[in-house]
Amino acid sequence: MSRHLNAHCPVLLALCLMLAACSDTPEPAGFAGLGADVTEEAFAQPARGDDLRFPDDFGPHPDHRIEWWYLTANLTTDEGEPLGLQWTQFRQSLVARNPLTPAPPAHRWPLEAGWMAHAAVSFREQHWFAEKLARGGTGQAEARARPFEVWLDDWHLQATAPGHWRLRVRDQGWSYDLRIQVEGDPVAHGDRGFSAKTAGGEGSMYFSLVDLAIEGEVTIDGMTHAVAGRGWFDREWSSQFLKAGQQGWDWFALHLDSGDKLMAFRLREEDGGYLSGSWVTPERAVIPLAAGSFSLEVTGQRQTGAGTVPVQWRIRVPQQGVDVTITAPPGQYWNDGLFPYWESPVSVRGSHRGDGYMELTGY
Amino acid sequence: MTEPVVQVTGLSKRFATGADAVTVLAELSFALPAGASLALTGRSGSGKSTLLNLLCGLEAPEAGRLQVFGEAFAAGDDGVAGDASARWARLRRRAIGVVFQDANLMPALTLLENVRLRATLAGQPTAPAADWLARLGLAELANRYPDQVSGGQRQRAALAMVFAMNPGLILADEPTGSLDHHTADDVADSLFSLQQHSGCGLILATHDPALAARCQYRLDLGHDRPELAATSALPSAAAPP
Amino acid sequence: MTLFAALFSHYRRHPLQLLALALMIVLATTLWTGVHHLTDRARVSLAESERAVAGQQQLVRDDGQPVTVQDFANLRRAGLCVMPWLEVRRPPPAGRVIGVDPFAATCFGDQAPGQAGSDALNGEPFLDIGEAAQLSTNGGEGVLSLLVPQTVDPAQLPPGYQLRGFSLGPATGELGESFLLNLDALGVLVLLITALLVRSVYQLGLVQRRESFALLTRFGVPGGRVWGWLLAEMAALTALCVLPGLWLGRWLAALLGGGFGAALENLFDTPLYAVGAGGVAVPALVMGAVVLAACFADRRLLRYLPAARYVGTWPAALVGLVVGLLLVRFATVLGWLFAGIALVFVAVGVLTPRALAGMAQWRARAGEGLGKWRRRELAVVFRRLALPVVALQFAVAMVLAVQALVSTFENTFEVWLGQRLEAEFYVEVPAFVAVADGVHYLDGLAGLGDWHLVQRGRAQLESAGGTPALPQVDLFAISPVGPLVTGWTLLVAAPDAWSRLAAGEGVMVNEQLARRQGYEPGDTITFRLDGRARTLPVLGVYADYGRPAGEILTAGQVLPAAFQPRFVSFSINPGALAMDDVRQGLAAAWGTEALTARDNQSIQTLASGVFDQTFLLTRAITVLTLVLAGASLLIMGWVFFTTRVWYYRLLSVWGLTRREAANQLRWLAVALTGCVALVALPLGVWLTWVLVARINPLAFGWSLPMAVYPGFWLEMLGWCLLIGVVISLLMGRQLRGLTPAPAMANVAAGGER
Repeated sequence: MSRHLNAHCPVLLALCLMLAACSDTPEPAGFAGLGADVTEEAFAQPARGDDLRFPDDFGPHPDHRIEWWYLTANLTTDEGEPLGLQWTQFRQSLVARNPLTPAPPAHRWPLEAGWMAHAAVSFREQHWFAEKLARGGTGQAEARARPFEVWLDDWHLQATAPGHWRLRVRDQGWSYDLRIQVEGDPVAHGDRGFSAKTAGGEGSMYFSLVDLAIEGEVTIDGMTHAVAGRGWFDREWSSQFLKAGQQGWDWFALHLDSGDKLMAFRLREEDGGYLSGSWVTPERAVIPLAAGSFSLEVTGQRQTGAGTVPVQWRIRVPQQGVDVTITAPPGQYWNDGLFPYWESPVSVRGSHRGDGYMELTGY
Repeated sequence: MTEPVVQVTGLSKRFATGADAVTVLAELSFALPAGASLALTGRSGSGKSTLLNLLCGLEAPEAGRLQVFGEAFAAGDDGVAGDASARWARLRRRAIGVVFQDANLMPALTLLENVRLRATLAGQPTAPAADWLARLGLAELANRYPDQVSGGQRQRAALAMVFAMNPGLILADEPTGSLDHHTADDVADSLFSLQQHSGCGLILATHDPALAARCQYRLDLGHDRPELAATSALPSAAAPP
Repeated sequence: MTLFAALFSHYRRHPLQLLALALMIVLATTLWTGVHHLTDRARVSLAESERAVAGQQQLVRDDGQPVTVQDFANLRRAGLCVMPWLEVRRPPPAGRVIGVDPFAATCFGDQAPGQAGSDALNGEPFLDIGEAAQLSTNGGEGVLSLLVPQTVDPAQLPPGYQLRGFSLGPATGELGESFLLNLDALGVLVLLITALLVRSVYQLGLVQRRESFALLTRFGVPGGRVWGWLLAEMAALTALCVLPGLWLGRWLAALLGGGFGAALENLFDTPLYAVGAGGVAVPALVMGAVVLAACFADRRLLRYLPAARYVGTWPAALVGLVVGLLLVRFATVLGWLFAGIALVFVAVGVLTPRALAGMAQWRARAGEGLGKWRRRELAVVFRRLALPVVALQFAVAMVLAVQALVSTFENTFEVWLGQRLEAEFYVEVPAFVAVADGVHYLDGLAGLGDWHLVQRGRAQLESAGGTPALPQVDLFAISPVGPLVTGWTLLVAAPDAWSRLAAGEGVMVNEQLARRQGYEPGDTITFRLDGRARTLPVLGVYADYGRPAGEILTAGQVLPAAFQPRFVSFSINPGALAMDDVRQGLAAAWGTEALTARDNQSIQTLASGVFDQTFLLTRAITVLTLVLAGASLLIMGWVFFTTRVWYYRLLSVWGLTRREAANQLRWLAVALTGCVALVALPLGVWLTWVLVARINPLAFGWSLPMAVYPGFWLEMLGWCLLIGVVISLLMGRQLRGLTPAPAMANVAAGGER
């Protein structure tokens, strides 16, 4: 797809390209265009029964409209202070391409896909966020499965040895450089990796690495902190993520001190929404959680500069004996980019203790 | 008796003004003896200037015949390949001096140069030009331009110019009309004295009864049937024919 | 009857005079608005282009190689904020586009190129870099630059790259300004000429109305009120006429816009952006002010300016002339040059009518009879028609000069192009083939005529002291240096320049570079190629027209072995062979199928086309000005003769036949316009010299030989005489309607000498 640039500034223009359908679809297409209709394009749509393939699925899926690589970490500094950080790289296709077809040469400056990367650090009730954009196909931003590597500019996640990654992010005033040890196999959510997002069956392919041991350095305002802790890595791709009428999502990934992991999300609709999740045992057995098997409940709101945000939740998983309260630390955790959303570390109290990350979109 | 210098027979002239035609001269006939002076009188619009123009060929008559210096012209002549207009031009150049109320001189030439130019055109020697100016009291002003002298001086220069061409007939249209009384008398004196001295004919159009009275004959165009009449200025010996 | 009606009754009696005045204002407005609109648009375009990259820097490779998308990716991955800028030049009329990557631009924040403009990077000439790249593969020539923000720290740069200033083409701003300054000067000249014309028409009417003004004064109307009404009358007329003039001017600008745009693009790589309706107010106000000033300046303004009294005197004019000539001769800045030209024009405008009148007066002394009268009358005409005479003189001079400039340029350009295109055929070497294979093939070809290999690239000038402020220049390498180039005419040359060039013992530079950097044969020049600096003597300076870039000509052996040219081609005279065979042989040597050989005829045709477009506007403006001046002299002559018709009629009273009288008039009118043509000639020749020898070097960096075109002088003389004949024919018509008695008011008006 080649279109004339007609927006009023590069950022808006990039926004348009990311939305991909901004001129065709007058009504909101869901958060960040994730609800855009795909039927007119030749994009592949994940369906129940699709399988995950490793390590290929660590790499890009040019026949899908949207995908991301996502990493969060709940760390502690040498001084024992908690520090959260996030890194996400998105890929948004503008043209579908069969993965077997070679990419157009870089010197043509192809416009097959737009890339966006987000990075954030949450520390001492403050939140630092940065965003980067790039067109794909030139080498400026890319993802590869073998060896595993994802980058945009000098933000770089890279497998340095089997089971060892390095993530480097740098922005004005802050940066981080993490060494990540990957333990365990990928955890497939939903039905062997197909994670339904609507009752009607639309959804995405979704897997996670839930045991990341992390150590490294985080530099903020010239002060470098040695950090260590645990992390969570997600891979997800789809062509239509939200269905029309879904306004956004509430998503949680929690490390419980019992060794269990809990991923739960709700896609909000007018009359409630679509709930789904995974319970991962210390042995890394995955128990899919359906709407009836767990509950999400807002128990506390916070006024922020950008609106009211539910910062305290009660999550109950009766089968696992879980009844916990999830709380974001004081502060404001907006990732204030093209599509603002809330991304904060959380603490877990109640039947279990632990920590994790919470992502709230569409507020 | 010498042949008349001007003989007019049944001369008519009309002007078209829009849809109407105004008859200015109707069936006019007269003859002027050589060397005689004639005053054309009558109210404004009675045809004085028109008659003068007809007498020098600057306008063409509707009907009638004209004879000037024996050269015959008839109404409609002008249509014949411009022959009449060329004959008139020749007459004006050599024999007929015309004096208007003003603007008789080329503004770009001095008085003397004007007189010399007119003499040259008439085929006369240019040498006497200065004399003519001197005789008219303009010796000092000979090298002035027309706009540098008074109206009376301009008119006298115009007379010098006319006499320098040694004309057979002088046509003067209100020659003193733009001058004050005293200056007008001066100019008239010069005109009549030179005319009598040279023996040329003179026809002048005027509103001024005193000036008209100095002519030998008078033609009142204000009358229904204008006729030539002798004035007291005419010596009784020379009664009209 | 109101006072205004009484005043205006003049035009009821002389509707043609009113029409002439109106027509003059309309035409003047049209012409000036047209020029102004074009220069305005061009200025906006240049400013837009400049602003888009104002203060930007770019990264270039240390090794002198052009940057690629790979460099872009590497630099971005090294953490540097870099944005690509792909300029694609396409053959006219398509013009240039700039491909940008809005994603990459986001890291510039407020510093993104063009952010100062309201719709930066939006619409022509900007488009997505992917599309631009597509265009460049489809026959356009694409040049990639990598821009970095001003805040970038040189210490942060990855090894292998260095910072450079970035602008659209070499010193475009200054050049474009010069070009526009020329056009502006042309526009001011047009304005001056039209002001003269409007004033002359108006003054004639005023002279005729003097009687009625006097009458009104006698009736007790204060002079100030009369003046006020006249001002109101003129203001109303101006307002009525300026509007259609503006509209016509826009139309004219639109008509010429295409050619002008092409000229702008060819000369300065700046496309002409369409600018919206924009300033109607400025041209309208300017025209209003000019018209009113032309008509009334002396009545109010000059009274209060004691100095103004001397401006019109001939000693002051003479001094002005000398000062102006000196300024033009010695000025080193365009502004002073133009001031000098203006001074010369004003002085010539004051002196010319006096000189002509004096000449006629002087000639009249000797004459006698009608000859004397005619010359005296001519002197009067020169004085009375001074303004339109001067206007026609200026217009003719302008046409002569511009024609000479364009013809000179055309001829020089053709000769130069002929030298440059000495070979009969040009074969572009495809990418990814070994040039050496082609050289080897041609070397071994018996019966082949002269040929050489052309390699083009860029070189970085360096001063001996190592200051990095010197510009990049084009590099033009030839091997072997043979008969195809040694026939070039050099502007200046050292002894044995060609043989020393062939031996690689020196370089030649083009005139632009020589002028800018002050190179002369014998100087040395230091330039960096592939990271290696070389210092060689300058052997000669060659002419290189129509583009601003500096260029170095070297023998091929001077190039380092690793030199990566941007463009490689062979120039070939096939000699005894058929070009088609040579082409096929080359294709076979390279193992490619498609190989095109262009003949020089097609290149010449293309170049001539570009050239013609470039000068379309200049020609159009001058011809229109000439038409305007000619028409106005026609109208003015006609109006003037009306005031004087009685005296010409006096000739008939004095016995000249109609034909004789008409001949006098014809002589007068033809002498008038003929003299104007004659006095325009020296001014035109001088103006030609100013254009080719003064303005061009200052503005564009290259000079032209001075040439004169007597054939065209005769043509202009012919046109002027024709104008005279037409005036006399019109006058003849007036004389025919005989009412012999003088109308006294008119006589008084026409009776000046």
